[in-house]
Amino acid sequence: MKIMEHRNLKESRLNNWVSFALRLGVAVSLALIVIGFIILLITSDANDIHPLASLDQIPAAIVISVGILILLLTPIIQVIAATVFFLIVRDRLFICISVAVFCFAAISLVLALI
Amino acid sequence: MLLWPITILNEVNFCALGSIGLVAGLLGSMLGVGGGLLIVPILTLALHLPIKVAIASSLVAIVANSCTAAGMYTKARLNNIKLGLLLETATTPGAIIGGFIAAVIAPSILSALLGFVLIYAAYTMLVRPYFMTEDTMSADDAITTGSISHNLSSSLASSYYDQNLDKAVNYKVNRLPAGLGVSFFSGVLSSLLGVGGGIINVPVMHLIMKVPMKAAIATSTFIITITAAAGALIYYYYRHIYLFIITPLTIGMVIGARIGVELTQRAGGLVLRRIFGALLLLIAVMMFLRTVNVI
Repeated sequence: MKIMEHRNLKESRLNNWVSFALRLGVAVSLALIVIGFIILLITSDANDIHPLASLDQIPAAIVISVGILILLLTPIIQVIAATVFFLIVRDRLFICISVAVFCFAAISLVLALI
Repeated sequence: MLLWPITILNEVNFCALGSIGLVAGLLGSMLGVGGGLLIVPILTLALHLPIKVAIASSLVAIVANSCTAAGMYTKARLNNIKLGLLLETATTPGAIIGGFIAAVIAPSILSALLGFVLIYAAYTMLVRPYFMTEDTMSADDAITTGSISHNLSSSLASSYYDQNLDKAVNYKVNRLPAGLGVSFFSGVLSSLLGVGGGIINVPVMHLIMKVPMKAAIATSTFIITITAAAGALIYYYYRHIYLFIITPLTIGMVIGARIGVELTQRAGGLVLRRIFGALLLLIAVMMFLRTVNVI
Protein backbone atom coordinates (compact mmCIF):
# COMPACT_ATOMS: atom_id res chain seq x y z
CA MET A 1 0.00 0.00 0.00
CA LYS A 2 2.82 2.37 0.92
CA ILE A 3 4.56 1.56 -2.37
CA MET A 4 1.39 2.48 -4.31
CA GLU A 5 1.01 5.74 -2.37
CA HIS A 6 4.66 6.60 -3.00
CA ARG A 7 4.20 5.84 -6.70
CA ASN A 8 1.04 7.98 -6.90
CA LEU A 9 2.86 10.83 -5.20
CA LYS A 10 5.72 10.60 -7.71
CA GLU A 11 3.29 10.48 -10.65
CA SER A 12 1.45 13.48 -9.25
CA ARG A 13 4.69 15.48 -9.09
CA LEU A 14 5.57 14.44 -12.67
CA ASN A 15 2.12 15.56 -13.83
CA ASN A 16 2.55 18.91 -12.09
CA TRP A 17 5.93 19.51 -13.75
CA VAL A 18 4.74 18.60 -17.24
CA SER A 19 1.44 20.45 -16.90
CA PHE A 20 3.25 23.61 -15.75
CA ALA A 21 5.71 23.44 -18.68
CA LEU A 22 2.86 23.00 -21.17
CA ARG A 23 0.59 25.71 -19.82
CA LEU A 24 3.41 28.24 -19.42
CA GLY A 25 4.71 27.57 -22.95
CA VAL A 26 1.27 27.91 -24.53
CA ALA A 27 0.42 31.04 -22.55
CA VAL A 28 3.67 32.83 -23.46
CA SER A 29 3.61 31.79 -27.12
CA LEU A 30 -0.06 32.63 -27.68
CA ALA A 31 0.39 35.99 -25.94
CA LEU A 32 3.29 36.83 -28.29
CA ILE A 33 1.36 35.60 -31.37
CA VAL A 34 -1.70 37.71 -30.45
CA ILE A 35 0.44 40.79 -29.63
CA GLY A 36 2.33 40.40 -32.94
CA PHE A 37 -0.95 40.01 -34.80
CA ILE A 38 -2.36 43.18 -33.21
CA ILE A 39 0.85 45.10 -34.08
CA LEU A 40 0.49 43.81 -37.65
CA LEU A 41 -3.11 44.98 -37.95
CA ILE A 42 -2.29 48.41 -36.48
CA THR A 43 0.98 49.16 -38.28
CA SER A 44 0.89 47.36 -41.63
CA ASP A 45 -1.20 47.75 -44.69
CA ALA A 46 -2.43 44.19 -44.76
CA ASN A 47 -3.67 44.55 -48.33
CA ASP A 48 -0.07 44.64 -49.53
CA ILE A 49 0.94 41.37 -47.90
CA HIS A 50 1.14 38.34 -50.12
CA PRO A 51 0.39 35.28 -47.97
CA LEU A 52 3.43 33.37 -49.17
CA ALA A 53 5.81 36.33 -49.30
CA SER A 54 8.93 36.85 -47.21
CA LEU A 55 8.02 38.84 -44.16
CA ASP A 56 11.42 39.95 -42.93
CA GLN A 57 10.64 43.63 -43.37
CA ILE A 58 7.54 43.59 -41.20
CA PRO A 59 8.28 44.28 -37.47
CA ALA A 60 5.27 42.27 -36.28
CA ALA A 61 6.78 39.19 -37.96
CA ILE A 62 9.61 39.10 -35.41
CA VAL A 63 7.20 39.00 -32.46
CA ILE A 64 5.04 36.35 -34.15
CA SER A 65 8.15 34.31 -35.12
CA VAL A 66 9.33 34.22 -31.50
CA GLY A 67 5.81 33.19 -30.43
CA ILE A 68 5.66 30.35 -32.99
CA LEU A 69 9.19 29.23 -32.03
CA ILE A 70 8.26 29.09 -28.31
CA LEU A 71 5.09 27.19 -29.28
CA LEU A 72 7.09 24.57 -31.21
CA LEU A 73 9.63 24.39 -28.37
CA THR A 74 6.98 23.86 -25.69
CA PRO A 75 6.59 20.09 -26.28
CA ILE A 76 10.41 19.77 -26.20
CA ILE A 77 10.54 21.73 -22.92
CA GLN A 78 7.97 19.34 -21.41
CA VAL A 79 10.24 16.42 -22.36
CA ILE A 80 13.18 18.20 -20.68
CA ALA A 81 11.01 18.73 -17.57
CA ALA A 82 10.15 15.01 -17.56
CA THR A 83 13.83 14.08 -18.03
CA VAL A 84 14.89 16.25 -15.07
CA PHE A 85 12.15 14.69 -12.98
CA PHE A 86 13.30 11.13 -13.84
CA LEU A 87 16.88 12.16 -13.04
CA ILE A 88 15.81 13.35 -9.59
CA VAL A 89 13.86 10.16 -8.83
CA ARG A 90 16.63 8.07 -10.47
CA ASP A 91 14.33 6.17 -12.84
CA ARG A 92 17.04 5.01 -15.27
CA LEU A 93 14.69 3.40 -17.77
CA PHE A 94 12.65 6.54 -18.26
CA ILE A 95 15.72 8.77 -18.24
CA CYS A 96 16.80 6.81 -21.35
CA ILE A 97 13.34 6.93 -22.92
CA SER A 98 12.87 10.69 -22.38
CA VAL A 99 16.43 11.43 -23.57
CA ALA A 100 15.69 9.42 -26.73
CA VAL A 101 12.54 11.48 -27.38
CA PHE A 102 14.50 14.68 -26.72
CA CYS A 103 17.20 13.62 -29.21
CA PHE A 104 14.62 12.96 -31.96
CA ALA A 105 12.99 16.34 -31.28
CA ALA A 106 16.41 18.04 -31.20
CA ILE A 107 17.21 16.59 -34.65
CA SER A 108 14.09 18.21 -36.12
CA LEU A 109 14.87 21.48 -34.31
CA VAL A 110 18.47 21.58 -35.59
CA LEU A 111 17.26 20.83 -39.13
CA ALA A 112 14.72 23.65 -38.90
CA LEU A 113 17.31 26.17 -37.73
CA ILE A 114 20.06 25.43 -40.28
CA MET B 1 -10.97 41.70 -51.41
CA LEU B 2 -10.09 38.38 -52.95
CA LEU B 3 -11.05 35.36 -50.87
CA TRP B 4 -11.33 32.50 -53.37
CA PRO B 5 -8.49 31.78 -54.00
CA ILE B 6 -6.34 33.55 -51.39
CA THR B 7 -3.80 35.74 -53.20
CA ILE B 8 -3.23 38.53 -50.70
CA LEU B 9 -3.77 38.81 -46.99
CA ASN B 10 -6.41 41.37 -46.10
CA GLU B 11 -8.87 41.66 -43.22
CA VAL B 12 -11.33 39.35 -44.98
CA ASN B 13 -8.77 36.61 -45.50
CA PHE B 14 -7.52 36.98 -41.92
CA CYS B 15 -11.14 36.48 -40.82
CA ALA B 16 -11.49 33.49 -43.18
CA LEU B 17 -8.37 31.83 -41.78
CA GLY B 18 -9.43 32.57 -38.20
CA SER B 19 -12.90 31.15 -38.90
CA ILE B 20 -11.43 27.97 -40.39
CA GLY B 21 -9.31 27.53 -37.26
CA LEU B 22 -12.31 28.28 -35.05
CA VAL B 23 -14.58 25.72 -36.77
CA ALA B 24 -11.81 23.09 -36.90
CA GLY B 25 -10.99 23.58 -33.22
CA LEU B 26 -14.67 23.58 -32.24
CA LEU B 27 -15.60 20.41 -34.13
CA GLY B 28 -12.29 18.73 -33.37
CA SER B 29 -12.69 19.07 -29.62
CA MET B 30 -16.44 18.27 -29.69
CA LEU B 31 -15.92 15.10 -31.70
CA GLY B 32 -12.50 14.06 -30.42
CA VAL B 33 -10.93 13.82 -33.88
CA GLY B 34 -8.56 16.78 -33.88
CA GLY B 35 -8.87 19.76 -36.15
CA GLY B 36 -6.27 18.73 -38.72
CA LEU B 37 -8.77 16.60 -40.61
CA LEU B 38 -10.65 19.77 -41.55
CA ILE B 39 -7.90 22.38 -41.80
CA VAL B 40 -5.85 20.84 -44.62
CA PRO B 41 -8.79 20.12 -46.99
CA ILE B 42 -10.40 23.52 -46.39
CA LEU B 43 -7.14 25.44 -46.89
CA THR B 44 -6.46 23.59 -50.13
CA LEU B 45 -10.00 23.32 -51.52
CA ALA B 46 -11.44 26.68 -50.45
CA LEU B 47 -8.43 28.97 -50.19
CA HIS B 48 -6.36 27.21 -52.89
CA LEU B 49 -3.20 27.15 -50.77
CA PRO B 50 -0.50 24.67 -51.78
CA ILE B 51 -1.14 21.43 -49.88
CA LYS B 52 2.32 21.41 -48.25
CA VAL B 53 1.75 24.93 -46.87
CA ALA B 54 -1.68 23.78 -45.64
CA ILE B 55 -0.15 20.73 -43.91
CA ALA B 56 2.58 22.83 -42.26
CA SER B 57 0.00 25.39 -41.06
CA SER B 58 -2.22 22.61 -39.76
CA LEU B 59 0.64 21.04 -37.80
CA VAL B 60 1.49 24.32 -36.04
CA ALA B 61 -2.18 24.90 -35.16
CA ILE B 62 -2.39 21.30 -33.88
CA VAL B 63 0.64 21.92 -31.61
CA ALA B 64 -1.13 24.92 -30.04
CA ASN B 65 -4.37 23.00 -29.64
CA SER B 66 -2.87 19.78 -28.30
CA CYS B 67 -0.56 21.63 -25.86
CA THR B 68 -3.59 23.44 -24.43
CA ALA B 69 -5.59 20.20 -24.14
CA ALA B 70 -2.64 18.16 -22.84
CA GLY B 71 -2.00 20.79 -20.15
CA MET B 72 -5.61 20.38 -18.97
CA TYR B 73 -5.53 16.56 -19.14
CA THR B 74 -2.18 16.43 -17.32
CA LYS B 75 -3.44 18.68 -14.55
CA ALA B 76 -6.46 16.37 -14.20
CA ARG B 77 -4.05 13.36 -14.14
CA LEU B 78 -5.94 11.64 -16.97
CA ASN B 79 -2.94 10.98 -19.19
CA ASN B 80 -0.20 8.41 -18.75
CA ILE B 81 3.00 10.42 -19.22
CA LYS B 82 5.31 7.39 -19.11
CA LEU B 83 3.29 5.59 -21.79
CA GLY B 84 3.17 8.81 -23.80
CA LEU B 85 6.94 9.23 -23.67
CA LEU B 86 7.48 5.60 -24.64
CA LEU B 87 5.19 5.88 -27.69
CA GLU B 88 6.83 9.20 -28.61
CA THR B 89 10.07 7.26 -29.20
CA ALA B 90 8.17 5.81 -32.20
CA THR B 91 5.90 8.69 -33.28
CA THR B 92 8.64 11.39 -33.26
CA PRO B 93 11.05 9.66 -35.69
CA GLY B 94 7.94 8.71 -37.67
CA ALA B 95 6.99 12.38 -37.89
CA ILE B 96 10.50 13.35 -39.05
CA ILE B 97 10.45 10.66 -41.76
CA GLY B 98 6.89 11.65 -42.73
CA GLY B 99 8.04 15.24 -43.21
CA PHE B 100 10.88 14.13 -45.49
CA ILE B 101 8.53 11.86 -47.48
CA ALA B 102 6.06 14.74 -47.91
CA ALA B 103 8.85 16.91 -49.30
CA VAL B 104 9.52 14.54 -52.19
CA ILE B 105 5.98 13.35 -52.85
CA ALA B 106 3.73 14.97 -55.48
CA PRO B 107 0.94 17.15 -54.05
CA SER B 108 -1.66 15.10 -55.92
CA ILE B 109 -0.56 11.94 -54.07
CA LEU B 110 -0.82 13.77 -50.74
CA SER B 111 -4.36 14.84 -51.68
CA ALA B 112 -5.31 11.27 -52.53
CA LEU B 113 -3.80 9.90 -49.29
CA LEU B 114 -5.66 12.52 -47.29
CA GLY B 115 -8.84 11.47 -49.12
CA PHE B 116 -8.39 7.88 -47.89
CA VAL B 117 -7.75 9.02 -44.30
CA LEU B 118 -10.90 11.19 -44.46
CA ILE B 119 -12.92 8.18 -45.64
CA TYR B 120 -11.63 6.15 -42.70
CA ALA B 121 -12.55 8.98 -40.30
CA ALA B 122 -15.98 9.31 -41.95
CA TYR B 123 -16.49 5.55 -41.55
CA THR B 124 -15.84 5.73 -37.80
CA MET B 125 -18.26 8.66 -37.51
CA LEU B 126 -21.07 7.13 -39.59
CA VAL B 127 -20.83 3.42 -38.75
CA ARG B 128 -19.33 3.47 -35.26
CA PRO B 129 -20.28 6.95 -34.04
CA TYR B 130 -19.44 6.33 -30.38
CA PHE B 131 -16.18 4.52 -31.00
CA MET B 132 -13.91 7.41 -30.06
CA THR B 133 -15.94 8.52 -27.07
CA GLU B 134 -16.81 5.51 -24.93
CA ASP B 135 -15.00 2.65 -23.34
CA THR B 136 -15.63 -0.69 -25.01
CA MET B 137 -14.29 -2.50 -21.98
CA SER B 138 -15.11 -2.26 -18.33
CA ALA B 139 -12.77 -0.78 -15.77
CA ASP B 140 -12.21 -4.32 -14.44
CA ASP B 141 -10.97 -5.48 -17.87
CA ALA B 142 -8.48 -2.66 -17.79
CA ILE B 143 -7.00 -3.87 -14.52
CA THR B 144 -6.34 -7.49 -15.30
CA THR B 145 -6.02 -8.20 -19.01
CA GLY B 146 -3.09 -10.48 -19.85
CA SER B 147 -0.07 -8.26 -19.70
CA ILE B 148 3.52 -8.86 -20.72
CA SER B 149 5.08 -9.23 -17.34
CA HIS B 150 8.31 -7.31 -17.20
CA ASN B 151 9.55 -4.12 -15.61
CA LEU B 152 8.57 -1.76 -18.39
CA SER B 153 4.99 -2.97 -18.52
CA SER B 154 4.54 -2.78 -14.77
CA SER B 155 6.06 0.69 -14.58
CA LEU B 156 3.57 1.86 -17.22
CA ALA B 157 0.61 0.75 -15.10
CA SER B 158 -1.33 3.79 -13.99
CA SER B 159 -4.64 5.00 -12.65
CA TYR B 160 -7.01 7.93 -12.94
CA TYR B 161 -10.14 9.07 -11.21
CA ASP B 162 -13.27 8.58 -13.36
CA GLN B 163 -15.86 11.19 -12.40
CA ASN B 164 -18.72 9.32 -14.12
CA LEU B 165 -17.93 6.05 -12.36
CA ASP B 166 -17.01 7.91 -9.17
CA LYS B 167 -14.02 5.67 -8.57
CA ALA B 168 -10.35 5.27 -9.41
CA VAL B 169 -9.62 3.16 -12.50
CA ASN B 170 -6.37 1.18 -12.41
CA TYR B 171 -4.98 -0.28 -15.60
CA LYS B 172 -1.98 -2.03 -17.07
CA VAL B 173 -0.59 -1.58 -20.57
CA ASN B 174 -0.48 -4.59 -22.90
CA ARG B 175 1.24 -5.51 -26.17
CA LEU B 176 3.88 -2.79 -26.20
CA PRO B 177 5.74 -3.94 -29.37
CA ALA B 178 2.53 -3.82 -31.45
CA GLY B 179 1.66 -0.42 -29.96
CA LEU B 180 5.10 0.97 -30.76
CA GLY B 181 4.98 -0.34 -34.33
CA VAL B 182 1.62 1.22 -35.13
CA SER B 183 2.63 4.44 -33.33
CA PHE B 184 5.54 4.84 -35.73
CA PHE B 185 3.08 4.62 -38.63
CA SER B 186 0.84 7.15 -36.84
CA GLY B 187 3.79 9.58 -36.61
CA VAL B 188 4.52 9.22 -40.33
CA LEU B 189 0.88 9.80 -41.24
CA SER B 190 0.56 12.78 -38.89
CA SER B 191 3.47 14.60 -40.47
CA LEU B 192 2.75 13.45 -44.01
CA LEU B 193 -0.84 14.72 -44.03
CA GLY B 194 -1.01 17.33 -41.23
CA VAL B 195 -3.48 15.40 -39.11
CA GLY B 196 -2.88 14.99 -35.39
CA GLY B 197 -2.64 11.23 -35.35
CA GLY B 198 -5.35 10.75 -32.74
CA ILE B 199 -7.46 8.72 -35.18
CA ILE B 200 -4.72 6.06 -35.00
CA ASN B 201 -3.23 6.61 -31.52
CA VAL B 202 -6.51 6.33 -29.65
CA PRO B 203 -7.72 3.04 -31.24
CA VAL B 204 -4.22 1.55 -30.86
CA MET B 205 -3.98 2.38 -27.16
CA HIS B 206 -7.57 1.36 -26.46
CA LEU B 207 -8.01 -1.76 -28.59
CA ILE B 208 -4.47 -3.16 -28.74
CA MET B 209 -2.85 -1.90 -25.54
CA LYS B 210 -6.08 -2.10 -23.50
CA VAL B 211 -5.78 1.41 -22.08
CA PRO B 212 -9.17 2.81 -20.95
CA MET B 213 -10.63 5.26 -23.49
CA LYS B 214 -10.36 8.38 -21.33
CA ALA B 215 -6.70 7.71 -20.57
CA ALA B 216 -6.09 6.82 -24.26
CA ILE B 217 -7.54 10.13 -25.50
CA ALA B 218 -5.59 12.14 -22.90
CA THR B 219 -2.32 10.29 -23.60
CA SER B 220 -2.85 10.66 -27.36
CA THR B 221 -3.15 14.43 -26.93
CA PHE B 222 0.14 14.40 -25.00
CA ILE B 223 1.83 12.39 -27.78
CA ILE B 224 0.47 14.66 -30.52
CA THR B 225 2.18 17.73 -29.01
CA ILE B 226 5.70 16.57 -29.78
CA THR B 227 4.79 14.56 -32.88
CA ALA B 228 3.17 17.57 -34.55
CA ALA B 229 5.99 19.87 -33.38
CA ALA B 230 8.66 17.59 -34.89
CA GLY B 231 6.68 17.44 -38.14
CA ALA B 232 6.17 21.21 -38.22
CA LEU B 233 9.91 21.79 -37.71
CA ILE B 234 10.68 19.59 -40.73
CA TYR B 235 8.21 21.62 -42.81
CA TYR B 236 9.98 24.74 -41.51
CA TYR B 237 13.24 23.25 -42.82
CA TYR B 238 11.60 23.09 -46.26
CA ARG B 239 10.27 26.67 -45.81
CA HIS B 240 6.59 25.77 -45.92
CA ILE B 241 5.80 27.75 -42.74
CA TYR B 242 4.12 31.10 -43.42
CA LEU B 243 3.59 33.15 -40.27
CA PHE B 244 0.62 35.20 -41.36
CA ILE B 245 -1.36 32.14 -42.42
CA ILE B 246 -0.54 30.31 -39.20
CA THR B 247 -1.32 33.23 -36.88
CA PRO B 248 -5.08 33.69 -37.44
CA LEU B 249 -5.49 29.94 -37.92
CA THR B 250 -3.85 29.12 -34.58
CA ILE B 251 -5.68 31.82 -32.63
CA GLY B 252 -9.01 30.65 -34.12
CA MET B 253 -8.29 27.00 -33.39
CA VAL B 254 -7.38 27.52 -29.73
CA ILE B 255 -10.51 29.65 -29.16
CA GLY B 256 -12.66 27.08 -31.02
CA ALA B 257 -11.27 24.19 -28.99
CA ARG B 258 -12.02 26.02 -25.73
CA ILE B 259 -15.63 26.66 -26.83
CA GLY B 260 -15.90 23.05 -28.04
CA VAL B 261 -14.96 21.68 -24.62
CA GLU B 262 -17.80 23.71 -23.08
CA LEU B 263 -20.34 22.74 -25.77
CA THR B 264 -19.49 19.04 -25.55
CA GLN B 265 -21.32 18.88 -22.23
CA ARG B 266 -24.63 19.80 -23.93
CA ALA B 267 -24.33 18.64 -27.53
CA GLY B 268 -26.47 15.88 -29.06
CA GLY B 269 -23.54 13.61 -29.86
CA LEU B 270 -24.97 11.01 -32.26
CA VAL B 271 -26.59 13.38 -34.76
CA LEU B 272 -23.57 15.69 -34.71
CA ARG B 273 -21.12 12.85 -35.33
CA ARG B 274 -23.20 11.51 -38.24
CA ILE B 275 -23.48 14.94 -39.85
CA PHE B 276 -19.74 15.41 -39.45
CA GLY B 277 -19.14 11.93 -40.91
CA ALA B 278 -21.18 12.85 -44.00
CA LEU B 279 -19.26 16.13 -44.27
CA LEU B 280 -15.92 14.31 -44.11
CA LEU B 281 -17.12 11.93 -46.83
CA LEU B 282 -18.01 14.89 -49.05
CA ILE B 283 -14.62 16.50 -48.39
CA ALA B 284 -12.90 13.19 -49.20
CA VAL B 285 -14.67 13.07 -52.59
CA MET B 286 -13.58 16.65 -53.25
CA MET B 287 -9.98 15.77 -52.35
CA PHE B 288 -10.07 12.92 -54.90
CA LEU B 289 -11.53 15.28 -57.51
CA ARG B 290 -8.71 17.71 -56.72
CA THR B 291 -6.22 14.86 -57.17
CA VAL B 292 -7.38 14.36 -60.77
CA ASN B 293 -7.66 18.14 -61.36
CA VAL B 294 -11.43 18.11 -61.83
CA ILE B 295 -11.86 20.92 -59.29
